[in-house]
Amino acid sequence: MKIKRYPFLIFMLFICTLLFGCWSKKELRDLALIIAVGIDKKDGKYMSTFQVVNPGNVAGATQRGGGSTGLPVALYTSTGDTLVEASRKASKQISRIPYYSHTNLVVIGEELAKEGIQQIFDAVERNPQFRPTANIVIARKQTAKQLLSVLTPIDKIPANQMIKTLELTEMMWGENVDTRLREVIESFSLAGKEVIMSSFYVDGNRKHSDDQNNVRTMEPTARLRAAELAIFKKGKLIGWIGKEEARGVLWILDKIKQTAVTVDWKEEKEAVSYKVVRAKTKVTAQLRNGKPIIFVAVKTEGDIGETFVAIDFTDPKQIVALEKVMQQEIKAEIEKAAHVAQKKKSDIFGFGEVVHRAYPKEWKEMKKTWDDKYFPKLDVQVKVESFIRRTGLRTRSYIQ
Amino acid sequence: MWLRLRNQNKKQVYQYDKVAQEGIYGTIERDLHANIEKVRNITGNSADIVIRRFLLGKEENLSSALCFVSGMVDENMVQQLLIEASVQLSFPSTCCDQLDYIEKKIATANTTRRVKQWNEVFSLLMSGESILFIHGMQEAISIAVKGGEYRAITEPSTQLSIRGPREGFTESLGTNVAMVRRRIQHPHVRVEAITVGEVTHTNVRMMYMKEIADDNIVEEVRSRLQRICMDGVLESGYIEQLIEDETFTTFPTIYHTERPDSVAANLLEGRVAIFVEGTPFVLIAPAVFIQFFQAVEDYYARFDIATALRFLRILVFFISLVAPSLYIAATTFHQEMIPTSLVIAIAAQRESVPFPAFVEAVIMEVTFEILREAGVRLPRTVGQAVSIVGALVIGQAAVEAGFVSSVMVIVVSITAIASFATPSFAIAVSARLIRFLLMVLAALFGFYGILIGLIWMTIHLCSLRSFGVPYMTPLAPLIPTNLRDTFVRFPLWALTDRPHGITEETNIVRQGDEQRPEHNQETRREGDEN
Repeated sequence: MKIKRYPFLIFMLFICTLLFGCWSKKELRDLALIIAVGIDKKDGKYMSTFQVVNPGNVAGATQRGGGSTGLPVALYTSTGDTLVEASRKASKQISRIPYYSHTNLVVIGEELAKEGIQQIFDAVERNPQFRPTANIVIARKQTAKQLLSVLTPIDKIPANQMIKTLELTEMMWGENVDTRLREVIESFSLAGKEVIMSSFYVDGNRKHSDDQNNVRTMEPTARLRAAELAIFKKGKLIGWIGKEEARGVLWILDKIKQTAVTVDWKEEKEAVSYKVVRAKTKVTAQLRNGKPIIFVAVKTEGDIGETFVAIDFTDPKQIVALEKVMQQEIKAEIEKAAHVAQKKKSDIFGFGEVVHRAYPKEWKEMKKTWDDKYFPKLDVQVKVESFIRRTGLRTRSYIQ
Repeated sequence: MWLRLRNQNKKQVYQYDKVAQEGIYGTIERDLHANIEKVRNITGNSADIVIRRFLLGKEENLSSALCFVSGMVDENMVQQLLIEASVQLSFPSTCCDQLDYIEKKIATANTTRRVKQWNEVFSLLMSGESILFIHGMQEAISIAVKGGEYRAITEPSTQLSIRGPREGFTESLGTNVAMVRRRIQHPHVRVEAITVGEVTHTNVRMMYMKEIADDNIVEEVRSRLQRICMDGVLESGYIEQLIEDETFTTFPTIYHTERPDSVAANLLEGRVAIFVEGTPFVLIAPAVFIQFFQAVEDYYARFDIATALRFLRILVFFISLVAPSLYIAATTFHQEMIPTSLVIAIAAQRESVPFPAFVEAVIMEVTFEILREAGVRLPRTVGQAVSIVGALVIGQAAVEAGFVSSVMVIVVSITAIASFATPSFAIAVSARLIRFLLMVLAALFGFYGILIGLIWMTIHLCSLRSFGVPYMTPLAPLIPTNLRDTFVRFPLWALTDRPHGITEETNIVRQGDEQRPEHNQETRREGDEN
């Protein structure tokens, strides 16, 4: 009997595919979708907290009843000498494979941040599942675990609540910055750039924050709230910057998209609100007498949002005068921010990198002593151009 | 005994022709009785063979017999013929050749011919002609009174169009050929008659445009048709399978259509049409891949709409090809590719499903194929019941029972609708088969497997040929001018060239210059000024 060669070969090839098939197959049912990871340090060991989604209980994900009584997320904690160890040890409690591809939030406890976070990102960067676009926040005055164990009312998954809050407040107000994992890791390898991160804290009574009763009331007893920006230096948390200074940082970083600036008008304090709808910052460096000078040029465009005093907006002179006042206000914010950072000797604005790009040769020398010698004494010249595009639907206010 | 078995195992040679012809050799005899006996004998005295004896001529009264198959002749014509032959016909008894005189005098039928050989007599008789035997004559007259009932011309049921002619082919060969000829009124339309099937003697017509069709392709089609040697050819599908270039492929290399306008358009592009008696489906060869995405309406609608629809159809083909396999790959290998909120939603639904994604997909796809097959074969009245059962049981109950996730139902439905939207059923069927292969590959290797499958498919498509023409023409080999009628359909005035590689190369341009409407107006205006 002669076997036909061609079909036989194909048959053999097909059999081969069955030999190695499916080795990386993971059914959705066997995955623990970790939506957020919290990292703390406890007794010299890393303590990882995993916020795992319970898909059946996420509202809208299932149309059948029964699931609505459960919680949308579950929390698991495990400790280990390294993060990988902690993650693997978590299998003692979780029945499914920890899956990090949808981890969109990394929370770091304040204690750990002060000790230094440089080591923990190696594991994260090495793991192919981890997304470099995951958000990273610091738990203010708390452990990461405490921050992750708060149930939230509207976005049922607390991690989503935090991410969306962060993104929204960066866009609308501009005192918080939405820092991604990639930026943090990048900053470790750059001499002229330090990283800043937003922080969150649990507002209110956090005793029963993880109880479902927390979301049953109109005003939850424990609430997540974005707080100051954390200033890092060499991977260590060295201080906080908040309020107007924080916004000043975002102005320099060109991260302001929209915000509202309130200025004084004549005798009246805090009288006019300027809604910024567009802003652009350019940072350039110049070397004068061997000393670098940084120029920060900000251009803003916006509307008048509110006024408590009678201003005649039909008069261009008034508008120009108002623009001047706004420019001063924004300039003051920026200068304050620069001052704070210089005092902390942490180049969170990346001025060093600007100098690096403009004067690569000179930078080689400055690099070593940039933080201690150059940056704190850096001459930062701020120039703001504000432009009032519209005055809203009214030209003349009813306030006379 | 062994010897006998061995003899039985010996391969038989096909010789039906010889067997069938046995006993009908020889010529017609002078004796009418003997002739009638012969007809009775050969046909086994079949009930539908009518032998009508009568006296021929007004005065002479030659005893004669008219022989025909009832149902295959036009009864009215036969009646008229009988009246003419027995009552009106008179001929001089002393004339040179009486038979010749009678043949010429019979005016009822379009064609008459004299036959002498028995095998000829029978083949004409079976094809629906009447044979007139006259006592004392050594020849008979065959009179074409073909007729009988055929289905009326109706709208084609498989290729509907919103705009365009409503008539579709019928089972009658003559009608079909005429429908096309009516559309191309040019003497270059050539129709060649070939009889296929040793037992069925099926009439086949090969139609092409002289000067436009490539002679080599025409010759190739002709020789392949003549090669066919088997008992019966009952539908054009028989011929398609016997003359196609590659059997082991899921892709059709011969186009078939029910629309005369489609045939006419293809003839004008230099293709060859094959009509088969008894089927409304006409074959068109050579066929290229992109042809299966071209609907006749593309050319009747304006080009922008036609282009949008052409894009849609190609997209739809890909959806019907890969949708379930993408679902399998994404949910079992590449969960990171799905947006977080969607993956949570899918995970929630899959939570209660007891099967792996692949099994789930296969179950649903097979169920759908079963439903579709049932729907096609069932009588129309029961068909509705099937769709209700399908929608309720498969759609709702299965999801509610937690056997399948509702995402899977969505995937299966989109696949099904996509495959219905493919204009050619032939290509939709091939996508159906490949879909299952891709599902297996997706279950084994994820996206990597789907890609391997698609690459294999592309290589396979490029290796196919239809009557010597590469299947992927004009994409591979790339023919830029013909690309105007592939993914996009350029305005009609820009489709200047007939398809290269199919049409005779010396006669490639199909329209005059300056067919663009604005252009005409400009020249006219200039003329007015002068």
